[in-house]
Amino acid sequence: MGALGKPIILMVGMYAFLKFVLPNIPGSAPLPSSLIFLYLLLTASGIVIFETLSGESKDAFWGPIQRFLTGENIGGLQALRYGVFILFPLLVGWQTYGSTAVSDLPPTESRTIHPAPPGEYTGLSNPVPKTPENIMQGKGFYAAYCSPCHGGNFDGKGPAARGYIPAPANFADPTTIAMLQESYLFWRIKKGGVGLPIEGAPWKSAMPRWEVELPDEWIWKIIMGEYDGAHQSPRTWE
Amino acid sequence: MKPANQIIGQILRVGIGVLTAIMIGGVTIGSAQESVSVRATLMTGGVPVDDPSAAAWSSAPPATFPMSPQVHWQNRIQEVTVKDVIVRALHDGKQVAVLVEYADPTQDPDDAAALEFMVGDKKAHFAHGQPMLQVEGGPVNIWFWKNKTAKAVDMNAKGFGTLKAQEHQDVKAKGVYSNGTWKVVFSRDLSTGHAEEDVQITPGQFISIAFAVWDGRKDGAGDLVEKGSQKAVSSWWYFRADAPPDYSGYMYAAIAAALALGFQFVLIRKLKKGQSA
Repeated sequence: MGALGKPIILMVGMYAFLKFVLPNIPGSAPLPSSLIFLYLLLTASGIVIFETLSGESKDAFWGPIQRFLTGENIGGLQALRYGVFILFPLLVGWQTYGSTAVSDLPPTESRTIHPAPPGEYTGLSNPVPKTPENIMQGKGFYAAYCSPCHGGNFDGKGPAARGYIPAPANFADPTTIAMLQESYLFWRIKKGGVGLPIEGAPWKSAMPRWEVELPDEWIWKIIMGEYDGAHQSPRTWE
Repeated sequence: MKPANQIIGQILRVGIGVLTAIMIGGVTIGSAQESVSVRATLMTGGVPVDDPSAAAWSSAPPATFPMSPQVHWQNRIQEVTVKDVIVRALHDGKQVAVLVEYADPTQDPDDAAALEFMVGDKKAHFAHGQPMLQVEGGPVNIWFWKNKTAKAVDMNAKGFGTLKAQEHQDVKAKGVYSNGTWKVVFSRDLSTGHAEEDVQITPGQFISIAFAVWDGRKDGAGDLVEKGSQKAVSSWWYFRADAPPDYSGYMYAAIAAALALGFQFVLIRKLKKGQSA
């Protein structure tokens, strides 16, 4: 292996690590190709700086590259050399075309699923005693007002759900009401989709503003019925 | 030690491999996409504003959107006839036509359909531009068609109960019923002189669109089942009129390739001079 062997192994190893190893480390995610490209570029710059530190290593590093480019004494590699000379401008052209082309995709919208509630809706506790009768009553209200979208099975798959984006929340999913406090649900039910802050994209949510139709007590009972029916418990502070 | 040729050969093979992998990885991102937007195809020779069966419609890609009963505001409805709408659109740089197609088992005088757009830069709630509590919303522009009147009404709303026909009626509509399917064409100029009330359609730009349908059937007592806010609705989706073809990308690519070629040429000349010196 000459002076070029190690850099090649290093580059390939780096690429393999970024592409295949790093995404599999728990808590990590696949890197975007632009970031991989940037890391490889940094690695390559590091190699070039290292290899050109002394005059000797510089010659060993650049010598073979220079010989290939000028085409002196490279024998059978001559065809490959011309191939590179044709391919390189084509690749540059292709990349340029790709980066100037106008996207056909609609703008991406990031939406915060559980945005912060207004201050007055944090830390409220359910004033309705948790009795079997109240839970039962809450489930009755749920069946009448909520189940058309959120589903009789609390799974977000009610008959009216299909056209709505964002989809009605699935309460059986551990990432919905199980990670929220009762006061948060009280806010979301009372104010509905139109009550969301801008990061929640309120213009898209079909959730009714129930405060204009239901008394607070009913809403607290619905919350109880929802947790019980979906077999979840509200998040607490301890 | 291996001969230099072999080493260089290795470099190039690996280098090309890595480059190719990066580029393939780069171009495949975001290629899978569901039907989230209506694309108005650019055509020449006038859009078929009166003819839902015109051959030109076959050049417009269909997009299917699911419908729900309107539940956001009272009066609600629990079940509606129309479950999906299929939407196509065409434009010729001046006029735009949107074809809405859906299954409806019966033709009734009160069958109706509507398109809804946000107006201007402000976001509007999909339910008639209902006021939002933490965000200042804008109005919606509604293009409404009803079978028995056989025409379109150009309207605005900013919340339920505020729906009002405009003074300037710019929209046309034509519905044709056959074999259990309604095909309704809405048409208008891409831009109008009333940017405060009318959606302005600029080719190349994405705007928001939503759909509503009323099945005009009556129940046993002779009352309309779907009327007013009791209708099938969709969420917001995107709409875009195709921009005229733009070939500048090819030009930039050619310039970049020429520059790369020149760079190679200069580099090799320099290297050769250096060697002989």
